[in-house]
Amino acid sequence: MNGIHDLGGMHGLGPIEREADEPYFHEEWEGRVFGLFFANFAQGHFNVDQFRHGIEKMAPAGYLQTSYYEHWLHSFETLLSEKGIISLEELDRKQAELSQAGDT
Amino acid sequence: MPMLTSEIVPGLVAGGASCRMDADVAPKFKPGDRVTTININPLGHTRLPRYVRGKTGTVARDHGVFAFPDTSVSGVHSDPQHVYSVRFEGEELWGQDANARSCLYIDMFDRYLEPA
Repeated sequence: MNGIHDLGGMHGLGPIEREADEPYFHEEWEGRVFGLFFANFAQGHFNVDQFRHGIEKMAPAGYLQTSYYEHWLHSFETLLSEKGIISLEELDRKQAELSQAGDT
Repeated sequence: MPMLTSEIVPGLVAGGASCRMDADVAPKFKPGDRVTTININPLGHTRLPRYVRGKTGTVARDHGVFAFPDTSVSGVHSDPQHVYSVRFEGEELWGQDANARSCLYIDMFDRYLEPA
């Protein structure tokens, strides 16, 4: 699909920042999201093409305002809810619980 | 239902979720062949970016046989075909605005290519 993910050749997005000794993950949650890919993949919940398409279907404004691993998480939430493995209500409830507990 | 076990994690992390398929499929092209990409605008998934559609380049390498993403997005790996590294000159992609020394190597599925 001709989605916002297909950024090749676009101007105005700013320079690519190169970090010395760049870590694999900048935040602990990014490592967890990375691990979620393999857990879900091994259980057969989606293949890599479905995973990529889940990112491509993000709303353009949201895509540009979120980071790389947020895109991954968005795809997991979309695919798992589409397949009925989790419900969005369940997800909202758990997120509310966690933010109440201060463990975000 | 298969589960993620500690034994399979290193291979998965190192190799990614590879879509390589063990299928006996003849390649349409060989290194050195001139090819032109098709112009498609599907609503579904594709690995053919807009800026490479309808462009002419040269096959640099044959990577072997992989599942076709445009159909495998249905959930089942399907339509196995060769994937090539194809070289496009900067000027072919970006016209007079290209850096004169730039070129792009991009992995292209057999189905995206026609003889130039």
